[in-house]
Amino acid sequence: MSKVQTKRLRRELYPKLRELTFGFVSDLEKCMQCGKCVGICPAAAVTTYNSRRMIHDIKSGNLQEVIESEELWSCFFCSACYASCPQDINFPFTVAMLRYASLYAGYGAEYVKKIIPYAQDYYARGLTVLQPEKNPLVLARRKANSGTSGDMGDIREQIGMPRERKVSDEALAEVQFISDVSGMTKLMERMLKTDDAAPKTRQRIEKVETVKTREGKFAGFPEEQENA
Amino acid sequence: MPRPEVMARIPVDDEYFLFRSCVASSKYPGMESSTKDVFEKIGVALRESDDQTCCAGFITFTSVAEVTATMPAVARNLSIPDEAGLNTVTMCNGCYTFLTEFGHFLQNNPAILGKVNEMLKMVGREYTGESQVLHMIDVLPKLQDRIAKQIVRPLKGLRIATHYGCHYLYGFKKDAIDDPFTPTVVEDLLEVAGATPVDYPEARTCCGSGLTQVVIHKEELSLPHMKAKFDSLKEAEVDAIVVVCPYCLTILDRGQAKMVDRGIADYEVPVLYITQLLGLAMGIDPVKLGLGANITSAQKFLDKLERLEKSRSTADAARGGAPKRPEEKTTDDQEAANA
Ligand code: SF4
Ligand code: SF4
Repeated sequence: MSKVQTKRLRRELYPKLRELTFGFVSDLEKCMQCGKCVGICPAAAVTTYNSRRMIHDIKSGNLQEVIESEELWSCFFCSACYASCPQDINFPFTVAMLRYASLYAGYGAEYVKKIIPYAQDYYARGLTVLQPEKNPLVLARRKANSGTSGDMGDIREQIGMPRERKVSDEALAEVQFISDVSGMTKLMERMLKTDDAAPKTRQRIEKVETVKTREGKFAGFPEEQENA
Repeated sequence: MPRPEVMARIPVDDEYFLFRSCVASSKYPGMESSTKDVFEKIGVALRESDDQTCCAGFITFTSVAEVTATMPAVARNLSIPDEAGLNTVTMCNGCYTFLTEFGHFLQNNPAILGKVNEMLKMVGREYTGESQVLHMIDVLPKLQDRIAKQIVRPLKGLRIATHYGCHYLYGFKKDAIDDPFTPTVVEDLLEVAGATPVDYPEARTCCGSGLTQVVIHKEELSLPHMKAKFDSLKEAEVDAIVVVCPYCLTILDRGQAKMVDRGIADYEVPVLYITQLLGLAMGIDPVKLGLGANITSAQKFLDKLERLEKSRSTADAARGGAPKRPEEKTTDDQEAANA
């Protein structure tokens, strides 16, 4: 497919496909503010995050406040609120859609940027999670536990699989085509360019330092270096 | 208790399309190999395709990729089993959720389905929605009798907890195979394998990852969850925990190693995928099951299994080959609990 062709398709198909997103905003007006969702929410267990309050804000016209807030980026997407909601409100879908709204309003890049490498891998290789491993703890433990070098190729070989899972070239070309004409490639480029001076989301919630365990209180973790 | 009306809807086929997970392929390949081995033993064929890419759920629900890009990508992936005329089995809660939600959405919105197919046609594909998307724990319970026949190494005396994860049961509270809050399908499978299912207070607590917390917020939100979960597991004195999702496996397996490494806790609970556990009970070599890829070693668990087997066979021999002993609890249980 030529560049010009792709460009034309993007112009024609993208506006049509944008309609897709609107199917996922759930009927928040049905919410009766019972708070069951908050009781089961893992984010609410460690911060003052509150889905019931967010729904209340949206319903009473304070959508902007939610869109600008860091709160929007604290949901785990676990769907436990949906499972417990007597009104079947699928709140994580609402959050997902509001995050796009937030991004379009210029917020949230600080969170999304960290995911871009995964999207780049998806675009280049067809897989979001690839084999190479940087974490030295993981490599050392894997070496000890498998009796191999710890390298994933060696481990796969050890259990009788090809050294690497490959996605076919045709599939890659198709995925890249879809990404290009649907606007995903562009969006990624734009997000990569967002500089760090972009507006930050406003803090509306606080971290709760204690989590109840059955043995009593758990007082958080010592500050630690990153090695995720 | 599995819901009979959902059980009735699940097709038992001679062959399924195996939807591979990129986390499993790249980090825990034993999930994939054990799935193939277990299905082979129970006489069900699995077909794969290198045309299948990642489901793209991760990048969609982290807002990097727009739905406009990943909706057609889902339809593209599902057009492969559609064309082959096979139903799809997913190994991952995330893949299941993403394929099913978007599949339902397309089926219920013919106008959008038309547009998506317009795009697919350009790459020579079509999505019809004929292939039913199933979760591993939809299919395994239906094949329970066949599994039971293959158990040659019952995991007697091993105390095993379950972690169902969020996205399958919570996200599909009406259509999933079991109740979102009090599921037992996996426990039933554990019993088939001869193990002792163990309940613990934090059983339905999220692994702490959510989809994004480990990446977006690093550990400040996710580690406290994991800690609560593992404290509760420790108290329940389990030998292992069984999961039905590669992402839960990654988070639980690596999270506890991380906590141990930093001296915050001393957990050592091996995390196994359901087919790895069933494979073990079917007598498949633990190396072949890929347990070596685990960060938290499964060795203690395997040692205990061997010890229990040995003590049973010597006891049998002492009693002149009597086949059964009613009480399996030995000092091994205490030993493992203290370790
Ligand atoms: S559980 Fe449902 S109805 Fe109750 S407050 Fe939450 S969203 Fe509203
Ligand atoms: S999906 Fe989000 S809002 Fe709902 S319970 Fe989970 S973390 Fe809370």
